[in-house]
Amino acid sequence: MPQKIKEEENVPQSYSLYELTTQVRRTLEDSFADAYWVRAETSDVRVNAASGHCYLEFVEKSPETNQLIAKARGSIWARTFRLLKPYFELETGQAFTSGLKVLVKVTVEFHELYGFSLNVLDIDPSYTLGDMMRRRQEIIRRLQDEGVFDLNRELVLPELTRRLAVITSPTAAGYEDFTNQLLNNPQGYPFYIKLFPALMQGEKTEESVIAALDRIYEHRDLFDAVIIIRGGGATSDLNSFDSYLLAANCAQFPLPILTGIGHERDDTIVDLVAHTRLKTPTAVAAFLLERMDRVAGELSLLQQQLVQDTERILLAQRNFLQLLSTRFPERVLNRIERSRSELHRLAAALPSAVSTLLARQDKGLEQMKGRIRSAVENRCSRERQFVLLTEQFIRMASPDYVLKRGYSLALKDGRIVKSPAGLTSGDSLTVRWADGEAQTEIKKLNISSDNG
Amino acid sequence: MAKKTESYAEAVAKLRRLVAEIEGNELDVDLLSEKVQEATRLIKLCKEKLYKVDEDVKKVLEELDA
Repeated sequence: MPQKIKEEENVPQSYSLYELTTQVRRTLEDSFADAYWVRAETSDVRVNAASGHCYLEFVEKSPETNQLIAKARGSIWARTFRLLKPYFELETGQAFTSGLKVLVKVTVEFHELYGFSLNVLDIDPSYTLGDMMRRRQEIIRRLQDEGVFDLNRELVLPELTRRLAVITSPTAAGYEDFTNQLLNNPQGYPFYIKLFPALMQGEKTEESVIAALDRIYEHRDLFDAVIIIRGGGATSDLNSFDSYLLAANCAQFPLPILTGIGHERDDTIVDLVAHTRLKTPTAVAAFLLERMDRVAGELSLLQQQLVQDTERILLAQRNFLQLLSTRFPERVLNRIERSRSELHRLAAALPSAVSTLLARQDKGLEQMKGRIRSAVENRCSRERQFVLLTEQFIRMASPDYVLKRGYSLALKDGRIVKSPAGLTSGDSLTVRWADGEAQTEIKKLNISSDNG
Repeated sequence: MAKKTESYAEAVAKLRRLVAEIEGNELDVDLLSEKVQEATRLIKLCKEKLYKVDEDVKKVLEELDA
């Protein structure tokens, strides 16, 4: 315990402020005699230009609520800071500024007048780097999960990309290089460059670049692409280009975005989502010129090809015509000659063809004659036979023939009596035989009853 | 017959087709002349677009508030 200093008996035991703070300092010096590695976040980083000392706050936030749960002033003396700052920035590619998670080696200081503070002796950049990578990965994953990560890269850069909306700081040297290179290109391609000014470093960068994108969006029909460029220089503040909000804006922008942010380390997230990522403004200009060269090259190639092909076809046609005209008479004569000999051959063949034909006809006729003759003879003998038979039949059927065989006829008044009906006794009948007649008289009539 | 409305991309795409057709050799001479005329027009159009400053674009962008 601090040593008591007695002044007045009736006053409770007390210390002057200095006495107390001196005691606190001594106690702290005794209890925290070493140096300690501390994890914290930087805040309110500022450098005294005159002295070169760096003053800042170290803070810690609750991971759940993001509320501050600890805070301590810090200092880095100029002698240390001159070494630590470039080392840190070289290793991380990140300016030493507020908002960084750092691992620092500190001594605990207490001063009667200035109070509690941490004096930085050393810094471990790999801790900050690890934290930055982790945050980067989180942002990339979030953009991927939201399905916007590839959107800008999937846009098609027009064949002629030359109406350019450029986001940069107008004072940056990079911008001047960029415009000079494009506008004074030796091939004379026209480019149309419109500057949309924005802050390219410091804490307002994110906000300022997004505002520029919004202004371009209003006039998006006037442009082929958006160019985001920044003069190079030493390691500078790239935090803004690793921001979720800016990257999400770029990824979803309806025009292709080309970046030339000018930095050495790995791509920022804006670079990753951009349509085309290039290192520097000059590289962007070179890329655009090269595209125009390619387009112009293809055009002149097409033109050459057109001329060559056309000439080739016309030449071929001309040759063909010439060939036709030289060969034509010969071909016609050949053809006529062939026709004529064909005719000759036909004419020679005709008589024998005719006589052969006639002979064949003649023979046919002869055969016909024979067939007719025998047909007629057949028919005649058949008819003759018929006549003979008929004659014989008629002869055999005639009354004379019947009478000669012993039959006789009865006649009355010159008519043949076929039946006794109608006859009466006393009628006179003539009976005829083959060789004579007799006059008779009917004495008795017997008429069969079934006749009638 | 000349439509003046093609974009560079459209014009050069037509040109590629025409050159391929002509290369293909299957055209009669009347058609060939027609195609060559069209191709020549397209080449001229593309060259204009490629090399000639479009004053309208220039003016619009100059007047645009950034």
